[in-house]
Formats: sequence, C-alpha cells, structure tokens
Amino acid sequence: MSTVATAHESGTHDAHGQHEELPFLRKYVFSTDHKVIGIQFLFMSLLFLLFGGLLAMAMRWQLAWPTDPTNAMPGGSLLPETMFTSGVMLPEFYNALVTMHGTIMVFFAIMPLLVGVWANYLIPLQIGAEDMAFPRLNMASFWMAVPAGLLMMASFAVVGGAANAGWTGYAPLSTSDVYSGVKLGQQLWTISLVILGFSSLIGAVNYITTVINMRAPGMTWFRLPLSTWALFITSILLLLAVPVLAGGLIMLFFDITFNTGFFNPVVGGQPLLWQHLFWFFGHPEVYILILPAMGFVSDIMANGARKPIFGYKAMVWAIIAIGFIGWIVWGHHMFMSGMNPLLGGFFMVTTMMIAVPSAIKTFNWLGTLWGGNIIFHTPNLHAIAFVALFVIGGLSGIFLAAAPVDIPLHDTYFVVAHIHYVLVGGSLFGIFGAIVFWFPKMFGRMMNEPIGKLHWLLTFVFFNLTFFPMHMLGSGGMMRRLYDPTVYPHIAQHQDTNVFITVCALLLFASQFLFMFNFFWSMFRGKKASANPWNANGLEWSAPSPPPHGNWGGRQPVVHRGPYEYSSPESDEDFLMQTAPPTGRPTPAHS
Amino acid sequence: MESNAAQEHGAGHKAPNYYLIWLVLAVLTLAEVGVAFVTAIPKTALAIILIAMALWKAVLVALYYMHLRFEPRRLWIITAAPLPLAVILVVIVLAEKW
Amino acid sequence: MSNAASATMETGTSGFGVYNMKLGMWIFLLSEVMFFTGLIGAYIILRFAGPDQFADPGVVLNVPLTAANTFLLICSSVTMVKAFAEIEQGNQAGLKRYLVLTAIIGMMFVGVQVYEYMQLAHEGFIPLADLYAAHGRHAAEGGAVVGGPLYASTFYTMTGFHGAHVSIGVACLWFTVFKAYRGGYTKNNYGGVEIMGLYWHFVDLVWIILFTIVYLI
Repeated sequence: MSTVATAHESGTHDAHGQHEELPFLRKYVFSTDHKVIGIQFLFMSLLFLLFGGLLAMAMRWQLAWPTDPTNAMPGGSLLPETMFTSGVMLPEFYNALVTMHGTIMVFFAIMPLLVGVWANYLIPLQIGAEDMAFPRLNMASFWMAVPAGLLMMASFAVVGGAANAGWTGYAPLSTSDVYSGVKLGQQLWTISLVILGFSSLIGAVNYITTVINMRAPGMTWFRLPLSTWALFITSILLLLAVPVLAGGLIMLFFDITFNTGFFNPVVGGQPLLWQHLFWFFGHPEVYILILPAMGFVSDIMANGARKPIFGYKAMVWAIIAIGFIGWIVWGHHMFMSGMNPLLGGFFMVTTMMIAVPSAIKTFNWLGTLWGGNIIFHTPNLHAIAFVALFVIGGLSGIFLAAAPVDIPLHDTYFVVAHIHYVLVGGSLFGIFGAIVFWFPKMFGRMMNEPIGKLHWLLTFVFFNLTFFPMHMLGSGGMMRRLYDPTVYPHIAQHQDTNVFITVCALLLFASQFLFMFNFFWSMFRGKKASANPWNANGLEWSAPSPPPHGNWGGRQPVVHRGPYEYSSPESDEDFLMQTAPPTGRPTPAHS
Repeated sequence: MESNAAQEHGAGHKAPNYYLIWLVLAVLTLAEVGVAFVTAIPKTALAIILIAMALWKAVLVALYYMHLRFEPRRLWIITAAPLPLAVILVVIVLAEKW
Repeated sequence: MSNAASATMETGTSGFGVYNMKLGMWIFLLSEVMFFTGLIGAYIILRFAGPDQFADPGVVLNVPLTAANTFLLICSSVTMVKAFAEIEQGNQAGLKRYLVLTAIIGMMFVGVQVYEYMQLAHEGFIPLADLYAAHGRHAAEGGAVVGGPLYASTFYTMTGFHGAHVSIGVACLWFTVFKAYRGGYTKNNYGGVEIMGLYWHFVDLVWIILFTIVYLI
C-alpha cells in the first residue's frame, strides 16, 4: 500500500490499508475503525432508546388508568407476579420503571447517541484525520459499554427486581433494602454505571487527544465545525465529571453491600454527601447531553439556511462558557434538600448566569436563519424544532433556577416537563437531525424525505401535546414518581389531563416506528448518495459516502477556510468546501 | 514527524538531578511526620502546614519526575484544569457545615 | 508491533508538540485526579462534619510503618525516572535494571500495605458498622473504642483504591519489563516507558497527598 500513509498510522498498522480483506469479525464486530464503532454505538443506543420508550409507555399507562384491572396494561399479564398481578401494576415495579426509564435513557440512549455515535463518527472526518488517536482503545470503549448495558437489563430479572430509587439513586433509599426492597438490583445498577463510566472516560481521552493532535494541515481551532467544538468540550466535561460519579457509586455500592455508612447518618455518614457527589457529576452530565446536539444544529442550520453560522466565534465561546459555568451550578438540583440556604443563593446566581451563553446561541441560530435561502430539508426541520423546544425547556429552567420558585415546583411534573423539553425537544430532535443529515455519509444512501418529514411532524405535535400539559400539572402540585395520582384530590381532579397525556405519549411512541422503518429501509433501498448530497462545507463531505478505511485513501485533506462559507462571493455556488483552495476572488468581510 | 518528538525531548534541556529531588522529598517526608506530632501548633494551622508540605512534594514530583517543567506551557494549563474543580467541590460541600 | 522507528511517539499534524500517547496519558491522569478528589474529598467532608467518628494521627493508624512505606514509594519513583533517563540515552541494560527495581519496590509497597491492613483488621479497625472495635494503638487491651466505622470505611476505600492503582501499575511495569527484554524500546522509541513513568509518578503523587491527609492530620 502507499508508504506515504505510514507517517500517520497508529495502532491499526497491521489491519490498515492492506489489500487483504479483513474477516467479518475484525471488520464489523471487533473493529478499530472509528466509523464502524460509531455505527455500532448507533445500533446499540437506538435499541436502548426503544426500550426506554417502552418503559415510559408502561409508566404512562399506569398513570392514566391506575389500579384499574378492567383497563390493564397490554402485556402486563406476561410479567411475573412480582411486577404485575391481577391486572394491576405493583407500586414497587412502577418505581423500578421510573428509575430504569431515566437511567437507560440518560446513560444508554442519549449519551451514547450524542457522544458514542457522533464523537466517534464525526471527529476524525471533520478534522481530517484517518482515525482516532487510539483506535484499539476506541474499540475497548464500545465493548465495555455493551456488558454495562447487559448488566443493567439483567437487573430486571434478579430477586427484588431492578433498582428503584430513581435515576438519581438518593441515599438512604438506595442504600437500604429495608426501605426500597431492592438490594441486588441496586448493586447491579451501580456496577453497570461504573463500567459505562469507564467506557465514556476512555472515549473522552481518545476524542480530546485526537482533536488536539490530529487536525489536518490548515485546520486551525477556529476553523473547526461547531459539531467538533461541542464534542470536544463535551469530552472534557466527561473526563472530569465521570470519575466523581464513579467515586460516589463505589461508596454507594459499599454502603449497600458492606454497610459501610458513608451516607448513613446513624454512624455519622451524610446523605447529602451523595447528592453533592451525584450532582457535581450530574450537572455537567446534562450539558454533556445537550452540547453535542447544539453543535449538530449549528452545522445543519447553516447548511439549511445556505448562510454562515451567525457569530461563529461567539458560538464557540458560548460552548466554552457553558462548559465552564456548568461546574458551579449543581446545587440547583438540591434547593429543597435542606442544604445551607446561603449555598442555595450562590447556586441560584450561577444558574441564572449560565442562561446567558445559551441565549447567545439561540439568538445566533435565529440570526443564521434570518435572511437565508432556507431549505426545509428534514435535518433542518429537526434543527429548527430543536431551537424552539430548547427555548421552552430553557425558560422553564429559569423558573426552576429561582430558588424560591423552586420550592413549590421541586419534584413536581413541572420539572418533568422541563427535563423532557430539553432532553427530547432538545437532544432527541438534535439526534434525529444528525442521523438524517449524516446518514448518507454513513450508509451511502439517503433517507426518505417524505417519511422523514412526516415523522418529524408527528413527533413534534405529539411531543408538545404530551409534555406541555405537564407544566400545568406540576404547577398544580402533581408530584414526580407518583404511582397513583388519583389518591390525591388535588391531582385527581386533573386525571383527564393525565389520560390525555398518556394517549398522546402512546401516539408519540407509535410515530417513532416511521423513523425505524425509514432508517432500515433506506439503509438497503434508499437513493444512492453522492459524497456531498447536502452541498455542505465540512471535511466529512469531501470523503466518499461511505468513506473507506482511512477516510481519504491515504491523502490527508488540506484545509483552506472555515466550515460555514455558504453563499460566499468567492464561489459561484452557494457553498464553498473547507478544502477549496484560495480563489483569488474577494473574500467576505468576516474571517 | 516521527523523530521530532525524540529530538525535541532530548535536545531541549539538561536532565534534572533526580537524586537531589529524591533527597528533598525524603527530608520533607521526615519533616512532615515530625511536624505532625508537635502538639503546640493549633490544629487548623497544622493542617495547613502539612498540606502545604504535601503539595510541595507533589509539585516536585510533577515538575521533575513527570517532566512537566520541560513540557510546552499548554500542557501545564491542561494539567491544571482539574485543580480548581477539586477545590470547588470540597470547599462548597464543606460550606454546608459552616 | 509496528517496526516504524518511533511508532509509539508519533504525533499527528497539529497540537503543541506532545506526542499522542503522552498527551493521552496526561489527559487520563486528569480524570484520575478527579477520581481521587471524589474519594479524598468525601473523607475531608465526612471528617469535618463528624470529627468524633475519626481519631488523631497515630492513635489508630501506624504512622512510622506508613512513613517508611511512603519513602519506599518515593524510591520507586526515582528508579522509574532513572529507567526513563537510561532509555533516553539508549542504554538497554540500565533500562531493564531500573524497571525491574521499580516493579519490585512497587510490590514491596503493596506488601507492606497488605500487612498494615491485616494488623488493623486484627485490632478491630473494620468498616462494618456492627463490627467496628478499634481502640488506640498503644492503649491497653480492652481500651475504649476510638472513632467509628466511618473511619475504617473511608480509610480502606481511599487507600484500597490507591493500592489497586499501584497493583495495576506493578502489572504494567512487569509488562514493560518483558517488552524491554525483547528489545521493544530504543533511543528513538521509548514512548511506552515514558507513559509508564507518568502513571507511576502519578500514583506516587496521589500517595504523597493521601499519606498526609489520612495519616498525619
């Protein structure tokens, strides 16, 4: 093979670039190719997304028709007696559903869908590298996430059932099976998360090293696409936050298993210590769950609007600012924990501060669309929906950030509305947009546009119908993690709303089958895609669809310009790729 | 590119006196143990002195044994990143009890 | 593996001159800083909130023994950095000698720690709430119980995870020794030794902090 390529080869030397075909196992299962690993994460996490959604449907059924054997949950009779009996779901099982829905969605669906998939798939392609800095470590990262996921699923089947102390696992509920009724399930939960954490950690090491050291010639920091910037900052957050969670989980495990007392007040332990450790991780975690989506939205929207992203540098600094400030806001999850009110005041101020860079980004997205020759392709629809829904989620966040306002709203459905607006309205729409946008690069075929648009529309409508009413329910006092809303008169009067939400949730879930169908059908029957079907500027679009091993066949691209030169006077077309050499024509006023 | 790293590492600086650093570390360790049992010093001051000595040793190991002293400045900035976070976590949670 | 002259020290086409493996190891160590921050931070917080659950330096824990162990670990850091200095000069014999020394001293450190654990457990210093029975180191048999199970829990967790990191380091050291004996490192290709050293010095660094905070304060 070409000897020129050897300078940039890393651990894949023996498998890389040679003419012999790799055996199936080495090529598709134990692959060190970042693209294959990214796609492996994609399949794994879409599966978990589906399962997490199923858990939510079970929860919603219970909330709409609680303890009503005449309207038993479909499939309930298939469940063991410990979960579902005489047509009625048991409260312990409901708590497990709540816990596992949150845990699986956060750790095994959204996080891998944002980072595991896209950091892996996009970073080398967008920076002009052949692969990651440490390809074998990359493979290890995926193959660690898989047993972590299996352990989490296995916990449903053990004595006592799955963990049921909430995805936040507060002690002493989580540490004592006298309170929760669950021991082994909770232990498996902690072990699974520690393993997943380590997988994310070594992934982060890979992504950071790669972005620093392996950018193509000419790819300066301020020519990186915002997807890469967001993934880079996200990786730093992962690197520094996950270990603290790991430490906390270890202590939790010891408390459960050996009665060590870290969080047990009887022997001088501090339950609040768990909350602090968890949320010190947990808050950067939620920025990990949104920043990559913000990056994708920027790339997609600039492409859809045929305009440069408005205020690129401000967008970069906003991402960095969110990353920085995100470390000192965690107490806003603990306003009602009994923590020192002075601390509460401090966290309230910092939380309000962090709204500013998010707002800057929002205005810049609007500025990107303004005056653009907008193409409403499916990815752009998802991106625009992201902005709208993220704003709503952000606004409800401002309410919650004000500590006094949080007093009646904490642990109510108002919070549930907030988190789903940012996680589904935000992250998931961003993920859908990214999948549709980069699908042609991944699989060499386009996804079907009409089905994509229909899926988008139905998802948008049913999402809002499902989650917006939760703001009202929460303000009206409906608590989170509630097994039977009808036992409380102040909530029972709103039972119609709960039923309505459940119906819309079921329709929302059903709409996703359109996406699933589109995804698999297009993989085999979609229209063949060119290297650059969206007329986009990023380096990834200069590689074939799909790219071969090594991405550019041994010739590293050279970068001459930034990623958002749409509608540039330098070009006759409305886009100008990063690899395009200087034209000698007048350049636009901004850099 | 390949031999760059070897060249820039070897040529740039004279190797530090590892044994001298070792001596300093040994002396500091002895001093720490000695100081720790001086009952005349109030507890808070003692804690601060001991932590300062420990940090001094840690910095010596980082700068000379881990060669941070001879690495590009950017690496210094990167390695400093977790330190403010560590301080923030401990200080804020300690503030709960103040 | 690869026979390119400095395959382990390759860098990409950007960055600020720190080759991939070294940069990657430094970045990994930053996460380790946060991990130990979580554990040691928890100890500091628990101790600040409930000092009577713990004890003054030397009352329960064996300071002289651990001070000697600390000195031992520092010695292993010297041998490690000497190993690195040797291969920088291309001296294979020196590399092997100092790597083996480092691994052996590392094993001694773990050995002393295991012995220390056994002594402490024998004296009733146990992390289980209902079994904790430690009394002062030089108090008469049957002396009053000092501190509480939280002292043992935090102690074993912090020092245990550190010890686990040392043990992993020792295993990696032996791997490095075997590779050195197979001629895997040269004057232009010593990245594996350098990152082994970084990890080992880091483990020493954590111990320096840990020893002070846990044994001397």
